[in-house]
Amino acid sequence: MKEILISGMGIVSALGNNIKENLQSLLANRSGIGPLHYLQTSHTEFPVGEVKMTNEEMISLLNISEDEPTIRTALMGMLALREALQNANLSKSETRNPKPETQRIAFISGTTVGGMDKSEQFYLDFLENDTRNAYISTHDCGICTEMIANYFGVFSQVDTISTACSSAANAIILGAELLKSGRADIVVAGGSECLTKFHLNGFNALMILDRKPCRPFDATRAGINLGEGAAYVVMETAESFNKRQQEHPTLKAMCKLSGYGNTCDAFHQTASAPDGEGAYLAMKKAIEEARLSPEQIDYINAHGTGTENNDLSEGTAIMRLFGDKIPPVSSTKSFTGHTTSAAGCVEAILSILALQNNFLPINLNFSEKIPELTFAPVVSQQPTKPLQHIMKNSFGFGGNDTCLIFSKI
Amino acid sequence: MEELILKLKEEIIEILNLEGMKPEDIDADAPLFGEGLGLDSIDALELIVLMEKSYGIKLKDPNQGKEIFKSIKVMAEYIAENRTK
Amino acid sequence: MNNIYINSIKQISAQQPLVEDWFEQPIFYSEPYIRAIEPDYKQFFTPNEVRRFGKILKRALLVARQVMAESGVALPDAIITGTGLGCIESTEIFLDKLVRDGEELLNPTHFMQSTHNTIGSLIAIDTKCHSYNSTYAHNGISFECALQDAFMQMKREDAINRVSTALVGAHDEMTPTYFNLLKKTPYFGKLNQAFAGETAVAMMLSTEKAEKTICKIEAVEKMYFGHETIDKFQSQISNLKISNPDYIMVGTNDKPETDNIYLENCAKLFPNIPLLQYKNIFGESYTAPALGVYVAAICLQRGVIPEHLKISGSEFQISDNSVNKILCYNHFDNKNHTFILLSR
Repeated sequence: MKEILISGMGIVSALGNNIKENLQSLLANRSGIGPLHYLQTSHTEFPVGEVKMTNEEMISLLNISEDEPTIRTALMGMLALREALQNANLSKSETRNPKPETQRIAFISGTTVGGMDKSEQFYLDFLENDTRNAYISTHDCGICTEMIANYFGVFSQVDTISTACSSAANAIILGAELLKSGRADIVVAGGSECLTKFHLNGFNALMILDRKPCRPFDATRAGINLGEGAAYVVMETAESFNKRQQEHPTLKAMCKLSGYGNTCDAFHQTASAPDGEGAYLAMKKAIEEARLSPEQIDYINAHGTGTENNDLSEGTAIMRLFGDKIPPVSSTKSFTGHTTSAAGCVEAILSILALQNNFLPINLNFSEKIPELTFAPVVSQQPTKPLQHIMKNSFGFGGNDTCLIFSKI
Repeated sequence: MEELILKLKEEIIEILNLEGMKPEDIDADAPLFGEGLGLDSIDALELIVLMEKSYGIKLKDPNQGKEIFKSIKVMAEYIAENRTK
Repeated sequence: MNNIYINSIKQISAQQPLVEDWFEQPIFYSEPYIRAIEPDYKQFFTPNEVRRFGKILKRALLVARQVMAESGVALPDAIITGTGLGCIESTEIFLDKLVRDGEELLNPTHFMQSTHNTIGSLIAIDTKCHSYNSTYAHNGISFECALQDAFMQMKREDAINRVSTALVGAHDEMTPTYFNLLKKTPYFGKLNQAFAGETAVAMMLSTEKAEKTICKIEAVEKMYFGHETIDKFQSQISNLKISNPDYIMVGTNDKPETDNIYLENCAKLFPNIPLLQYKNIFGESYTAPALGVYVAAICLQRGVIPEHLKISGSEFQISDNSVNKILCYNHFDNKNHTFILLSR
């Protein structure tokens, strides 16, 4: 069995524009959620976790021509991908012309929104005049992935996953499978999603947005704060990594992806089953695949959206699987907001930072335990034992439930 | 009240796409959710939109719906009392 | 390594739905935009069951149920869906209201059904199937992404949770509004190109051969050349282990810039192998390549190629060749190139 190593990471989120800033915010228990600032919407009553940059600022950071049609999801994606590639010593200049026999690099990105930010802005122009036609072609999810990939121009294959809020986690699973099958030597996987009026209003129509800072796993929880972000991890086989390490002695493997599980709750289009069946099966599958037992999991970074339904269902699934030995659990969505399609990788990176630095990200805004659950989420950064194996849950509408396990090497 | 009940039935058939159903097929006293019409949580949200659109009644908390949407009759009574349009 | 078979395959498209009438009696169209011929859903669904579903969901659920029934697989080990645009009809309704009427009183149903994974999760809910479930949304290669995922997992013999059966679907609807928008882009911007169509294809893959097995999938390869030249492409493709097929099913759509790429690449890479087409009768859509696989699979099963798949002007005689291996070659915008090799 091929070992899958994580050898690079890049992130932009409400917590900061790179890995360092995200780690600092997390360690300082500083949430990135605040009043709406960048998204143009009438729903200013909802707190959100925005990336603290305008599109223009990102365009200039990336040195892109202002005439080029761009979408926010792609811009954030490029920034996160740039950091991930640099982090893994695969920086832009170096990989412009990779030798095809030795390096097949695949890029897998999860998104649902794609170019919706521009579609909602220019929809009437699309219909009524020809002034914004360039943005008709940037609407679909695949183009968004290609825009990000083309900025670097090194990828031998591209894939776009769209399983709603578990998209980026499923991108990481596909990455592992591509490596195991020998179809790629290196994979960069994750996701990107900007806030849009479209999905803010969609979640509002579902009445699952909280007007106050969100409180996952709290008895008083009242819904989601949406967020935005982009995050990618560089994944490679030990064979590829060892070979590259000889050329780049500074290259570091951060952890390994030791297991993963993808299941479907098969219950309802938007609600999770009360017994958390899909979540339970995803976690169980991931533990089996990692050849671990539940007691060996040292921390669970939960999906924990802060809705009444999710947290109870996920909590129930955790109780079913871990019994009376429930490891520390927290949701970091009260730091970043729910970054939807990017969440799987945004939160995987926050979890990997916790693993590397041996601390527990706390469950911000928690005060009162959910009466139906036997456990309360993490409130202290101090782990009870050194972190070795951590679990990341990511669930999407329609019951697309995914669980990833990362382990120290 | 009878008139309102009939109008409500027609509106519900339309917005919830209850294809092939006629107002007389719906019992005004029967539960809308679970047994009876067999509606679910998404239908409840659609009914909340309907309440605001047609009758100017704003429900902030989906849990409020549980009481109000017990049956067409209960719904009609609530609307008659609280409507602003 | 496991063998992988297509044990059942069904379509709803511009041709007669759920049947193979196109083989003997294809329908030819001259309009630029054709919606799928809908089966009589009343025969298959109770009204309440599908009351919320748009066209794409009804089609997807029906073809899925049919291939599951035909192959006798009630709970596949994976449900994997490819869709370029997802449920664009619901997306459009929600977006239109949002833009015209403002950010109040929007219907949750349209939002809930706007996400691309609605299709795959709906099939899982319908069948109570907790298996692996994923959705790919990558414009013109969405189906190939899905097929690659299934193929790769089924080939893996060391997996703890083995995938022996997979339901792979490819679904795209085309609304009048979206067609009008896409006419303003290079995708549908040419007069006289193959009509804009709709796709609903479901196939049951299995590592076990069955009595009704339609064909075998030998290879699924995809490559991206966002910045590359044709030379690079040719050096890469020659590394693929695709032994000479009897025919190549290409995605020509009467757009010279698209068609020439097929013709040039095939002439260089697979000289003298006759080319076949399918978009002349099934139309163009993001997941149309699934219809290409469908057509090739049925040709292999029957051992015959119908005359109307011949590309006009090509010189071979259909009856000269045996029908044992067909390569389906698709490219989207000359960036993504995909190869699916099927055999009898």
